Amino acid sequence: MPASLHLDLVPLLPELVLTVAALLLLVLGAARERVRAAGIVAPLTVLALLVAAALAGVLDRTPQTLLGGHFRFDAMAAFLKVLVFLGVAASLLLGSSYVEDERIDRFELPLLALFSALGMGLMVSAESLLGLYMALELQSLPLYVMAAFQRDQLRSTEAGLKYFVLGALASGMLLYGCSLIYGFTGTLSFTTLAQSFGPGSPAGVPTGAVVGLVFVIAGLAFKLAAVPFHMWTPDVYEGAPTSVTAFLAAAPKVAAVGLTLRLLMGPMADWVGQWQQVVALVALASMVLGALAGLVQTNIKRLMAYSGIANVGFALVGVAAGTREGVEAALVYVAIYLAMTLGAFGCILAMRRQGTYVERIDELAGLSTRQPLLAAALAIFMFSLAGIPPLAGFFGKYFVFFAAVKAGLVWLAIAGVLASVVAAYYYLRIVKLAYFDPPAEPFEPPSGPGLRLVTGLAAILVAGFVVLPGPLFDAAAGAAASLGPPAPTAPVR
Amino acid sequence: MNLALIALLPFLGAVLPPLLIRSGRNVCALATGAVTALALALLLVQAPAVFRGEVVRASFPWLPQAGLEASFFLDGFGFFFAFLILAIGLLIVTYARFYLSREDPMGRFYAFLLLFQGAMVGIVLSDNVLLLVIFWELTSLSSFLLIGYWRHLPEGRQGARMALVVTGAGGLALLAGLLLLAQVAGSYELTTILTRAEAVKGSELYLPILLLVLAGAFTKSAQFPFHFWLPHAMAAPTPVSAYLHSATMVKAGLFLMGRLWPVLSGTEAWFLIVAGTGLLTMLIAAWIAIFKDDLKALLAFSTVSHLGLVTMLLGLGTGTAALAAVFHVLNHASFKAALFMTAGIVDHEAHTRDARRLGGLLHLMPITGTLAILASLSMAGIPPLNGFLSKELMLEEALHTEWGGTGRLFPILAVLAATCSVAYSFRYVTHVFLGPVRDDYPHRPHDPPAGMWLPVALLVAAVVLIGILAEPVAGPLVRLAAEAVTAGAAPEATLKLWHGVTPALVASGVALFAGLVLLAAFGPIVRLREALWRPEAKRMFEATVEAVATGARAVSEAIHDERLQRMVAWTLAAILAVGLVTGWGGIGTGERPGLPVAPLGLLLWAGAIAAALAVALFHHQRLLALIVTSVVGLIVSLTFVWFSAPDLALTQLSVEIVTTVLLLLALNYLPRESPRESTPARRGRDVAIAAVAGLGVTGLLWAILTSDFAIPTISTYHLAESKPGGGGTNVVNVILVDFRGYDTLGEIIVLGIAALAIFAVLDSTFRGTAVQRLRTWSHEPEAADRHPMMLVVATRIMLPLALMVGIYIFFRGHNQPGGGFIAGLVVGVALIVQYMASGWAWARARTRIDYHALIGFGVFVATATGVGSWLFDRPFLTSNYGYFHVPLLGEVELATAMLFDLGVFSTVVGVVMLVLANMARVAARAEPQTGVPTAMDSVPEPRLADERITTTAPVPVPERTRQEA
Repeated sequence: MPASLHLDLVPLLPELVLTVAALLLLVLGAARERVRAAGIVAPLTVLALLVAAALAGVLDRTPQTLLGGHFRFDAMAAFLKVLVFLGVAASLLLGSSYVEDERIDRFELPLLALFSALGMGLMVSAESLLGLYMALELQSLPLYVMAAFQRDQLRSTEAGLKYFVLGALASGMLLYGCSLIYGFTGTLSFTTLAQSFGPGSPAGVPTGAVVGLVFVIAGLAFKLAAVPFHMWTPDVYEGAPTSVTAFLAAAPKVAAVGLTLRLLMGPMADWVGQWQQVVALVALASMVLGALAGLVQTNIKRLMAYSGIANVGFALVGVAAGTREGVEAALVYVAIYLAMTLGAFGCILAMRRQGTYVERIDELAGLSTRQPLLAAALAIFMFSLAGIPPLAGFFGKYFVFFAAVKAGLVWLAIAGVLASVVAAYYYLRIVKLAYFDPPAEPFEPPSGPGLRLVTGLAAILVAGFVVLPGPLFDAAAGAAASLGPPAPTAPVR
Repeated sequence: MNLALIALLPFLGAVLPPLLIRSGRNVCALATGAVTALALALLLVQAPAVFRGEVVRASFPWLPQAGLEASFFLDGFGFFFAFLILAIGLLIVTYARFYLSREDPMGRFYAFLLLFQGAMVGIVLSDNVLLLVIFWELTSLSSFLLIGYWRHLPEGRQGARMALVVTGAGGLALLAGLLLLAQVAGSYELTTILTRAEAVKGSELYLPILLLVLAGAFTKSAQFPFHFWLPHAMAAPTPVSAYLHSATMVKAGLFLMGRLWPVLSGTEAWFLIVAGTGLLTMLIAAWIAIFKDDLKALLAFSTVSHLGLVTMLLGLGTGTAALAAVFHVLNHASFKAALFMTAGIVDHEAHTRDARRLGGLLHLMPITGTLAILASLSMAGIPPLNGFLSKELMLEEALHTEWGGTGRLFPILAVLAATCSVAYSFRYVTHVFLGPVRDDYPHRPHDPPAGMWLPVALLVAAVVLIGILAEPVAGPLVRLAAEAVTAGAAPEATLKLWHGVTPALVASGVALFAGLVLLAAFGPIVRLREALWRPEAKRMFEATVEAVATGARAVSEAIHDERLQRMVAWTLAAILAVGLVTGWGGIGTGERPGLPVAPLGLLLWAGAIAAALAVALFHHQRLLALIVTSVVGLIVSLTFVWFSAPDLALTQLSVEIVTTVLLLLALNYLPRESPRESTPARRGRDVAIAAVAGLGVTGLLWAILTSDFAIPTISTYHLAESKPGGGGTNVVNVILVDFRGYDTLGEIIVLGIAALAIFAVLDSTFRGTAVQRLRTWSHEPEAADRHPMMLVVATRIMLPLALMVGIYIFFRGHNQPGGGFIAGLVVGVALIVQYMASGWAWARARTRIDYHALIGFGVFVATATGVGSWLFDRPFLTSNYGYFHVPLLGEVELATAMLFDLGVFSTVVGVVMLVLANMARVAARAEPQTGVPTAMDSVPEPRLADERITTTAPVPVPERTRQEA
C-alpha cells in the first residue's frame, strides 16, 4: 500500500494547474462583484488552459501510470490534452463577446468550462473503468449547467434539463456496464484487463463482460452524440447559449473520442471482434442520419448538431477499423474537426444584427458582398466540412476511410463516402447562400478580438493544412503507437 | 523543380490581382497575364526534352505515411494539355480585361481564374494519383466560384451548385477508382501505374475501377447522362464559359481517359461503355443544340456533343482513333473558345444573346462577324478548316466500327450527329450574323475594342492555319501527345487536308447537305419538337434532390420530436437491443454451486416482488407508493441478514428510515396524486421496455451470481488483512475507515457539501416570491391531534434509549457490526422523530447544537486523524491501534480509526439533522396558523425574524429534555 501512495505528480502537472486555477478563481470570483469578476476570471481561465496545454505538450511522453493505476500519461494523452485544452480556450475566446451581449457574462461560466476541461484531461488519461467514469462525470456535470445557463430563457433551461436527464441515463448505463465488466472479470484496471484477456491468456472473454462493454460503449456513444444516442444533440445545441454550443461541439467530442480509443484500443484491443460490429454500426448510423437529417434544417445551430453527429460517425469509422492506422486516422480526424467546428461556430457567433443574434440559415444570404472575409472563412469551413480537397476536412475523411478499407470494412467506407456526398449538399447550400443569394442586411462587425482571432486562425489552419500536413500526422502516429502494451506497474483492482 | 513551379505559379500569383486592383484594371490584368506567361515560358523550356521523348519528373515528399507525394511528370500528353491550358488562358485573360465592366470586381475574378488555371495545370502534370484528385476537386471548387461570379443572376446560383454537386460526386468516385487502381497496380505514381496494364486488366477489380474512373471522367466532361449541368453553368461570365466550359475544364475528363488509356482501354467493357456513351452524347447534345435560342446554350450543347465525339474516339481503342481524339481536342479548343468569345462580344455589344432577337450583325460588326463565321464553319466541319480534318478522321474510324452487332449502326449515328452539328453551326451563322440588319436590338452593336477581338482573331488564325498546313503546324505536337496516350502504339499518320474521295468524305458531304436541309426546315421541326415529350435531365436531378430532402424530413421527424419521453424510450430501447444481441445465448448459469433456499426466504422475496409491482401500480398515490417502496427496502435489509451481512443490513435499515422520513417530508409539498398524462399506448410501450430491461438485468445478475470471478478479487485481500493490518475484525468497517479511508473522507466531505447545498436551496424558500407561495399554501383540513399525545410520549421516552443504542453501535463498530456511519444515522433518526412528533418549533427551541458546526467538526476530526499519522512519519490516514485496560470495562481496544469514525459519525448526524430539520422547517412554515399547539408543551417563540408564529410567550424548557438534546 505505501508503495502505491508514493506520488510522482509530474505527469499530472497540467491537471494540477487547472485544479489550482479553478479553485483560486472560484474564490476570486466569489470575492468580487459579479460583473467585474467575469472580466478577470475569463482571461485567467484562458491563460490557465494555455499553460496546461503547453505543459501537456512538453512533458516527457514515456508512458507512466500513476494515481494508483487510474491515470496514465503517454503520447496519446499528451496529444489529446493539447487539443482539448486549446479547444476549450478557443471556445471561451470565441464566446467572449457573445456572453457580454447576452448578459450571461458571469464568472461561473468560464469556471464551469475549466472544471469540464479538467474532466476532459482526466478522460483522455483514464487507465481504469473507475477513472473513466469519474473523469466523464467531471466533464459532463458542468456541461449540464452551462447548457441551462440562460436561466430566463425557456429553451435554454429545457436544453439543460433534457441534457441532464438523458445524460444521467447514459451515465447510469455506463456505470452499469463497468460494474458488469467488474462482475464478470473481477477487475477495473485496463492493465489487468489487457493482461488477463490478451492473446495467449487461457481465459476466454466472458460474454457478460462483453455485454458490459457494450453498455459502456453505449454510454460513450451518448457523450459522443452518436446514433442512436444522439437525441439530445439538436435540442441542446439549439437551446444552449451559442457560446456554450460552440464549447459543447468542440473539445468534449475530442475528449470522448480519445476516451473511446483508450478503452477500446487499450485493454479491449484484443477483443476487437467483440466490439467492432457495434462501433461500425454506430458509425454507419451516425453518418447516415447526420447527413440526411441535416438536409432539412433551417436553424444553423441545429444543422451543426447534425453535422456533429455525422462527423462523430466519420471519426468512429477510424475507431471501428481497430488498427493502429485507424487510431491514427481518428486522432487526425478529431484534430481537424476541432478546428473546423470552432471556426464554423466563430462564423455563427458573428451573426448579429441590430443587437440580437440570429440563427436562421437564410440570414447568411449574400454575406460575401457585405463581409467578404467572414464569407470566405465560412466558405472554407463549409467546404472543409463537406470534405472537398484540398481543405483539411478532406484529409480527415480520406484517412479514416482508408483505414477502414485496410481493415476490411469496405462497406463502411463506401457508406461513409455516400453519406458525405449527401452531407456535402447542405454545406454547399450555406456557401451558395453566402455567395450567390441577394444580400440580406449586413451583420454587425464582431465586437471582440477573440472571435476574430480564433476564427481567422482556424481558417488558416484548415486552408493551409494541405501545405504542411506532416506534423499533425507525426504527432498522431506517435500517439497511436503509445497505445501499445501498458507500462508495467502495480495494477489496481 | 520547374515542373512543380508551373503548377504552383498560378496559385502563388492568385494573390496578386486582388492586391493590384487598386493600381488599376490594366495593371491587374497585366499581372495575371504575366503570371500565366511565365508559367507558359517555364513549360516551353521543357519542350526540347519532351520532344526528344523524355519524361520529365519532379517529386517531393509530402505525406509519405499515406502514399501522398507531391510528384509531377511531363510527357507529350501532359505537355499538349498544359500548353493548351496556358496558351488559351493567356488569351482569355486579355479578353476578360475588356469584357468585364467597371462595376465587376476584377481582382477577384482574376484571382479565381488563376486558381483554376493552377488546378488545371496540376491535373495534367500530376504523377501521384492522389495529387491528381486534389487538383481535380480544386478545379470544381474554383469553377464553382467562377460560375457564381455574377451573383445577381439567379440561374448562376443554381448552376454553380448543381455543377459542384455533380462534378464533386464524380470526383469522389474518381478518388475511389484511382485508389483501387493504385492498389491493383501497386503504386500511387501514374508513371508506374501506366506500365502495369496487364495487372490491371487481368484484375477482378478491373470493372469497378473502370466504372468509378469513368464516373469521374463522364461527370467532369458532361457525358450523357451527366450532361445536364454544363448548359446550366453558362450563367458564368463569357470568358469563364470560353475557358472552363469549352477549352479546359470539361476536357479534364477526356484527359483522364487519355491518360489511363494504356491501362484501361482495349477491353470489351471499355469499348461498349466509352464509345457508346460518347456516341450517344454526341448525337443527343447535337440535336438539342439546334434548338437552343440562347447562343451560349447552343454552344454549350455543341460542346457537350464534341466532347462526346472525343470520348467516342477514345473508346474505340485504336491508335488512329486516339490520334484523332487528340487532334480534335486541339481543334475544338481553338474554334469553340473563339466561338464563345464571339458570343460574348455579341452579348456585350447587343445586350442580348437570344438568337431570335439577332440577325444581320455581319454588317454592323464585320470583324467579329467574319471571325465567328470562320470558327462556325470549322465547327461544322467545312474544309479547309481544322474542324474538317478531325471530323474526317472521326468518320473514317466510325465507318469501320461494328457496334450493336452490326457495322451500320455506328456510322449512321455518327453521320446523324455530324448532320446536327452542321445544322447548329449554320444556325449560329445565319440567325445571328446573316440576314438583314434589324432595328430592334436592345443596344445597337458595333465592333468591340481590339483587346476583345484580337484573342478571337488569334484563335481563328490557328483554326485556318491548322486546317491548311496541318502537318507542319500541329503534326509534331499531336503525334507526340498521341504517342504518349497510346504508349507508342499511335500510327505514323500524317495530318493532311486531302485524302482523295474516301467514304468519309462522302459521309461528310451527306451530313453537310442534310444539315442544311434540316436548317431550312427549322420552323416546322421546332414545332414538331415542341409537340413531343422530352426528358428534362435538370428537372430529374432536382426531383431526386427533392425526394431525398422529403425522405430526410420524414426520417428526422419520425425519429426526433422534441419530447423527452420519446428520447428516453429510444435510448433505452437502443441499449436493450444491443445488450440483448450481444448477450443472447452467452449468458447462462455458471458453475458456482447454489445456496439452499428456505421457505421463509422465498416468502420474503415474493413479498418484495409484490411490493415492487405495487409501486408501479399505485404510483399515482404518492403516500401509498412511498410506503410500499419502504417495504421493499425493509425486505432488502432482511435479505442482508439472511446472507449474514449484519453490517449491510444495519446500514440499509437506517438509510431506509432516513430516506423514508425525508420523502415523507417532501411529500408535504406535492399534491397527493400525480397527474395522469400518458396515453395507454405509450404506457404499454413503457411497460414493455421496462419488462425487457428488468428481465435482462435479472439474467445478467443470475449469470454473475452463479459464476466465479475470472480474476481473484480484492475481497480476499481485505478479509485476510483486516485484523493484522487494520486492527478490526469487522471487515466492512475496517474498509471504510482504513483501507478505503481516503474514499470515506471524501464521501463525508461531499455529504457535508450536499447538506449545505440543500440548506441553501431550502433557505431561499423563505425569501422572495417563494415565501409568498408558501403563505398561500392551501391546506386540507387537518385532524385536531396533529401531534398525537401517544406519539409524543413514546418518542420522548425513546430518545435517550436511541442515543444509547447509537453510542453502543459506534463503539462496537470496529469489530462487530456497527460503526460511525450507522451510529450517526441511528442518532439522526432518534432526533428527527422528535421533530415529527412534537413539531419543528418545539424541537428547534430545545436544540442547542449548530448542525453546520457539527458537520465542520466531523470533517475536521476525520482530517486531523489522517494528518496525525504524519506526526509518526507514516502516510496520511495510516491506522494504529492498541489495547487499554479500563477499570470496570476491562480490556478495550482503541484504534485511531475510531477517531476517524467519530468524524464520520458527527458529519452524518449533522447532515441528517440539517437536511431533515430544514425540510421540517419549511413544513412548519406551511402549517396553518390556527393549528393546535402541542399537547404537552407550549410553543416557545421561534428564533427567526420572519417567523409567523408569534403566539405564546417563551416557556422554560424542562431541564431533562435539554440535556438529552
